[in-house]
Amino acid sequence: MDRLSQPRENSQEHGNGMFGFTVFLLSESVIFLSLFATYILLRSIAHGWLPRGVSPLEVTQPAINTAVLVSSSFVIYFAEKALDRRHLNQFRLLWLTTSAMGTYFLVGQMIEWSHLKFGLTTGLFGSTFYLLTGFHGLHVLVGILLQLLMLTRSFKPNNYTSSHFGVSATALFWHFVDVIWLVLFSLIYLWRP
Amino acid sequence: MQKILNTLLLAVFIAVLLVTSRWVGHQAYSWMPTQGTAEAQKVDDLFSFLVAVGTFIFLGIVGLIMYSVLLYRVPKGDFSDGSPSRGNVKLEIVWTIVPVLFVMWIATQSYKIYQEIDIQGLTPIVHLHIPMADEPANAATEPTDVNTRAKPVALEVMVMAKQWSWAFRYPGNITSTELHLPVNETVRLKLQSQDVLHGFYVPEFRIKQDIIPNRTLNFTLTPLRVGKYRLRDSQFSGTYFPLMEADVYVESSDAYNQWLTASASQQPSPAKNSAFSEHTLGAVRGWPTIVPAQPPIVNQP
Amino acid sequence: MTQDIQMGNAGSDPQPNRWRYFSFSTDHKVIGIQYMVTSFIFFLIAGLFSMLMRAELLTPELNLLSRPLYNGLFTLHGTMMIFLWIIPCLVGLANYLVPLMIGARDMAFPRLNAIAFWLIPPTGIFLLSSFLLPSGTAQAGWWSYPPVSIQNPSGHLFNGELFWILSVALLGISSIMGGVNFVTTIVRLRAPGMTYFRMPIFVWTVLSAQLLQLFCLPSLTGAAILLFFDLAFGTSFFDPFKEGSPVLYQHLFWFYSHPAVYVMVLPALGIFSEIIPAFSRNPLFGYISVALASFGIAIVSIFVWVHHMFASGTPGWMRMLFMFTTMLVAVPTGVKVFAWTATIWKGKLHMETPMLFALAGIIMFLFGGITGVMLGSVPFDLHVNNTYFVVGHFHYIVFNTITMAIYAAMYFWFPKITGRMYAEGWGKIHFVLTFIGANLTFFPMHPLGLQGMVRRVSSYNPQYQELNIVASLGGFLLGISTLPFIVNIVASWLQGRPAPNNPWHATGLEWTVSSPPPVENFEEIPIVTLPPYSYGHDQLAADTPTQK
Repeated sequence: MDRLSQPRENSQEHGNGMFGFTVFLLSESVIFLSLFATYILLRSIAHGWLPRGVSPLEVTQPAINTAVLVSSSFVIYFAEKALDRRHLNQFRLLWLTTSAMGTYFLVGQMIEWSHLKFGLTTGLFGSTFYLLTGFHGLHVLVGILLQLLMLTRSFKPNNYTSSHFGVSATALFWHFVDVIWLVLFSLIYLWRP
Repeated sequence: MQKILNTLLLAVFIAVLLVTSRWVGHQAYSWMPTQGTAEAQKVDDLFSFLVAVGTFIFLGIVGLIMYSVLLYRVPKGDFSDGSPSRGNVKLEIVWTIVPVLFVMWIATQSYKIYQEIDIQGLTPIVHLHIPMADEPANAATEPTDVNTRAKPVALEVMVMAKQWSWAFRYPGNITSTELHLPVNETVRLKLQSQDVLHGFYVPEFRIKQDIIPNRTLNFTLTPLRVGKYRLRDSQFSGTYFPLMEADVYVESSDAYNQWLTASASQQPSPAKNSAFSEHTLGAVRGWPTIVPAQPPIVNQP
Repeated sequence: MTQDIQMGNAGSDPQPNRWRYFSFSTDHKVIGIQYMVTSFIFFLIAGLFSMLMRAELLTPELNLLSRPLYNGLFTLHGTMMIFLWIIPCLVGLANYLVPLMIGARDMAFPRLNAIAFWLIPPTGIFLLSSFLLPSGTAQAGWWSYPPVSIQNPSGHLFNGELFWILSVALLGISSIMGGVNFVTTIVRLRAPGMTYFRMPIFVWTVLSAQLLQLFCLPSLTGAAILLFFDLAFGTSFFDPFKEGSPVLYQHLFWFYSHPAVYVMVLPALGIFSEIIPAFSRNPLFGYISVALASFGIAIVSIFVWVHHMFASGTPGWMRMLFMFTTMLVAVPTGVKVFAWTATIWKGKLHMETPMLFALAGIIMFLFGGITGVMLGSVPFDLHVNNTYFVVGHFHYIVFNTITMAIYAAMYFWFPKITGRMYAEGWGKIHFVLTFIGANLTFFPMHPLGLQGMVRRVSSYNPQYQELNIVASLGGFLLGISTLPFIVNIVASWLQGRPAPNNPWHATGLEWTVSSPPPVENFEEIPIVTLPPYSYGHDQLAADTPTQK
């Protein structure tokens, strides 16, 4: 096929890919928006929010997890910068660190879940908590898996010499997951009954 | 000369449209069921207005289209181009602004009628005080009643909907599966559902209200015409939804009171219920379904 | 790949090529055809369901089907017609046409395109398989309102409602993939010189519709997730006895499902905008207004959803607000109808099959739009909400407008897609049968609703029988009317007269290439200099509007 009519094809494809992926993330965020709207509405019309015998959520440990997750956004940003400058090993190190921080967050969440004295059906309090944090956690997991995929791909020789759409998209996805978490954290943990 | 003729033709066209629309608007009253409430009269007036306006627009556009279709066809192989005109900014502005004014006019007329009908709607979903679900049936105060022009209510009847029967409770704790209402009196129906969404709908009354389980919804109307009507469930509620109907009797105050007294003296007994009967007959059951509730036990079945 | 390249007369079509229509092809033209044929099959199946329903409704009593089966049929009829017929068919048509219309070689993401298609057939089969479950299919209508939809009388986890939720979720994923693809393609892959205001209106409407999909469909996803949890795990998001809210579901559902009807109607209006100028030999009147109106419709349609909930227990202020916004959405829609009328006005009209379907579609759309404005008026709506008036209204849109538009498009672009001409006589017969059937079936539903006949009923009061008989006969006629279409398409595709590049002498980049187009669409990417619909512009007169 004649490709002369489309010069700089790689950066064109990279541009298309990032455009499309950004559009996708904007769309995906509306799912979270609808779940947030649900949470806010149900909580506002409820008579009492905390089920009997359940104490308000502990904030300290989740706050630490939040700090770790948010910091990992900076780490992944620097990882991308390193890749732009072709410092592959620096990229891999920072990239792996991001995954480690993400894993810390997830493990922290699972530990928190295991200590909670309420379940999915313990009133709307329990349902909304597990649904929102679980759905978000799923996205964190996907983010980590994508990062690991990109990491293994970075070992293919010359794979990232011209463009690295996968890396850019994964990083953008990670920032998205972070921003969602900040809103979620405020709604669930900081909005005290 | 041609221009004068065109203007004349246009004027005649519009005149015919106006006359026809007005006529069709009048016909519209006959397409509706009899007017059973004060609200029905207002709704029918609005409907007639909407039909007239709609007829005008529909016949106008279709007329213009058919004019071209009938007079401006060309033979099959003739691919010569028509007029190169791409538009007319003034016209396009006019046909954007005029419709905006038009629909705003329609919306304003509708708004006025809505206010006159006094339909309360639901109390806002987001409220910070205790909802009315726990209030006794004969509560006379409505904490969220906004309309100061509300007519005084002469009677309150509880309407209890469930899959798939209607039951009514009158003052004095008298129950029935028939809805009796005194004519010319404003009645507040307190709509309740035990299970799923239902809808309160009597076509002759012209207004309906969905019934939300675990909430009591107040629904006010004034029957104007003595007669027998049919109440039907309007919000799809499952397998035997089409059978969820009840008889509605609008009668004189005397007749109503007589009926109430007679019912009070009767021992409560199970009423007939189509859904229950059809289900127990078990002829064509099909897939598993929610079992209809036992027929209501009422004074006057 | 030379066997794929077909020039001008497609007399010889090597047999092995046909298999590419059953394969994972990344060619947007193949995918487009796959979408259209697949969706048409689902259309016939869902149409069969409606024949069964209309047969039951010939008499007031229940005497043909069981009540659960009837309820399952109308549920799947609605669900399939929306998510497995109209939406995928229009996506298929857009898939085929948009790259050609904007001068691109393919969509931005060809592999994503194929994946999005291949989600459709298995999901459709999965949804239909719910007829075989012990619980039967979903039976709560295509809206699936709780609490009814999650009552689950069978008690099984694998029930029809679960299959419905999963199917809607999978189809939603396919739609989002398509949305990302179309928006990226239209924004980034236009040929040099193809500015936004030189794009055909069909591309404008596809862009508007796909943007709507992207930003509103996730609300349905949210609703589906919550419904799924209530159904499968005993949560109580929508349980009114446990602090939940059934009305919340309705908000989440309709926030998408109202824009969804514009996702469906916008490309149909786009189709009209392509056909009317070609068969009037006039440029589209007021092109810029029509282009902007496409966006206008999309934006306003996001703010009208509560008009599906006027009787639901919404507060008075909300009803009034949404009544005003609902009325407003009629304006950009009306602008389009005026534009088509002005385009036809004193043109040079050709009344072949595509034009017949387009004109009839526009007239019936006008009627459906007017009843829509009526439904937007709250006091009137409170009478006809949930009655057959509403059923009549929306079928005038989805069948009498959108399906008519799809037929118009099929005939119009058939020569381009297949390289063959269809039989014009049979096309006209198809048109007459469809037009009569469409009106016979759906017009009587308006008086039925006014008289108080509620929708979704498997039996009704005897007073409604006469009009129901008329509607049922019309429905059967519609079923029969698909036969001349199917025979015409199949026979012409196999044996029709070879088609020239531009049988309609229409403008548009797709008509500059062979019928069917070569695999890479254009030997050289075109450079666009003319505005669209340049009928009557051989002297290259520019875009300055001229007084009539």
